[in-house]
Amino acid sequence: MATQTESRFSRYKEEFSSFLTETWIGYAFAIPATVLLAVIIGYPTLRGIYLAFFEASLLNPGQMEFVGLQNFAALAGDPVFKEALWHSVLLTGLVVSLQYLLGLGLALALREKVPGAGVFRSLSMVTWVMPVIVMVIIFQFMMQNGFGPVNIILDSLGMRTTYWFGEPGVAFPLIVVMHVWRNIPFYAIALLAAMNSIPEEQYEAARLDGAGPLERFRYITLPQISYVSMIMIVLHVTFTFKNFDVVYLSTGGGPLGNTEVLATYVYKQAFEQYALGYGASIGVVMLILMLAFTVVYVKLEETD
Amino acid sequence: MATSTDSDDRNLVQRIDAWLNEDVSPRRALGAYLVLGLYFSFLLLPVIYMVIVTFTTQEFLFSPELVPSPSDFTLRNYEIVLSRGDFRTYFVNSMIVATSTTLLVLTVGVLAGYSMSRFDYPGRNGLLYAFLSTQMLPIVLILIPFYLLMFSLNLVDSLLGLVIAHSVIGIPLGTWLLKGYIDDIPESLDEAAKMDGCSHLSILRRVIVPLSMPGIAVAGFYTFILSWNDYLLVSVLSQTAMTRTLPFGLQLFQAQNTVAWNLLLTAAVITMAPVILLFAVAQRWVVEGLASGGLKGS
Repeated sequence: MATQTESRFSRYKEEFSSFLTETWIGYAFAIPATVLLAVIIGYPTLRGIYLAFFEASLLNPGQMEFVGLQNFAALAGDPVFKEALWHSVLLTGLVVSLQYLLGLGLALALREKVPGAGVFRSLSMVTWVMPVIVMVIIFQFMMQNGFGPVNIILDSLGMRTTYWFGEPGVAFPLIVVMHVWRNIPFYAIALLAAMNSIPEEQYEAARLDGAGPLERFRYITLPQISYVSMIMIVLHVTFTFKNFDVVYLSTGGGPLGNTEVLATYVYKQAFEQYALGYGASIGVVMLILMLAFTVVYVKLEETD
Repeated sequence: MATSTDSDDRNLVQRIDAWLNEDVSPRRALGAYLVLGLYFSFLLLPVIYMVIVTFTTQEFLFSPELVPSPSDFTLRNYEIVLSRGDFRTYFVNSMIVATSTTLLVLTVGVLAGYSMSRFDYPGRNGLLYAFLSTQMLPIVLILIPFYLLMFSLNLVDSLLGLVIAHSVIGIPLGTWLLKGYIDDIPESLDEAAKMDGCSHLSILRRVIVPLSMPGIAVAGFYTFILSWNDYLLVSVLSQTAMTRTLPFGLQLFQAQNTVAWNLLLTAAVITMAPVILLFAVAQRWVVEGLASGGLKGS
């Protein structure tokens, strides 16, 4: 009797001590990554939010003056900020919906498994892996005035030629095209993988029931790729909304602020106008919008 | 050699045969090719055209011709770009930074992924979501204090500073991807290793790492291209030619008002070549991994 209690007690003790060591080992393995992230992302994020309530200059970052909500009040009256906000929202909406639709189209075409489809699937990823600056150089070369291929073609058709990135009304659509060009393959691969995991029998059964290709797409394919679709869309809404380099490298926000987005405006305020606090306050607005988007998404997910 | 070509041929013939025998109507196949052709022209023609142009003379580039003739062919652009010492420095810097970043992310990512997959401790899920939520942060918001932090740590204008900056961007996704892969390894395998007296570190080395190789390949590939392609962080942290990497160094060929297009395009081709090659080698895992593993998430 006594020995039994004792052995049970020692088993608990053993379990408890193994829980302790296991827990600590678990923490120990996660520590390097966590510390790096906390120091290099966590701290700057909090610091960035803190900065938004100060007036500080990059030229003299030690000297900060607390201004409360003044930066945000100034934003409300800043026409460039409003333009940039509108461009960011419009760009995100256009880019993500076009990417999704065109990526879906490519996935459906690749799904036909015609000879050569596999090679094209791999090749098309080239646009996704290349550096953004290389993409921008390709597009600028094609659109350049005089001897850019696009202008050579337009000229031979007797149409107007110009440097199209410098053309108000054309520059913004070109930015949309670059985003889409870059990401179509990624959407296509992800959607294709989701489509390939749908059992073939479901299509057979639907065919026997007399469902046409459109009905099979609507009632079998679409519902089964909806999860991957949602993830792709949510990810790319955030990627596109915070994207900096496509706009900055191709037009720098021009011509005449026609392509200015929030990310480029933050960068310009902080690193070109040296207005750290004001730049940070724009960053905070971006963060709030991003959080709001995430919250709405999670709520929608829950109600589904 | 001859046999392998034979079997390849037979494979192709068989594949076409099998495809023709399926109840695919020629109209549908034609439609598929038409659509793929349109995508090909949109996605790949610009890249192919750029590569071709880098092998032509400057005269062709500034002529109103669209298609080069064989007499326009030259390797001169590559000779000029590759003989520039500063360009070579950028290339070496890119290699050092991207490789070190990848090694660092994989090391801490495997450890963190293992921890989050195999250990159950208070705060684990919170940590996992904290990692993931860093992906939501606008980098430009972090940029300002980040620059000041790196400045105070004396890491501005150093390759180490770039490695740390790139690693931190790569760690969250790397950890998340690796956790997903490690979750798929049956836990009975590390139990068995534990029975044999393996410590956690040797379980990692002998069981987890070998079995999660596809995941490591995907995370490594992703981190490498993230670091290799980065412009923003390099433009902020790098202040002299000694620490510039290729994407930022391409400005070399964009003078004040004129652009040496032939040299710029050539340098761009050289800049993207390593990631394309790497993708060609790793694509078997990358395509499947990014499509399924990367999205599997929790």
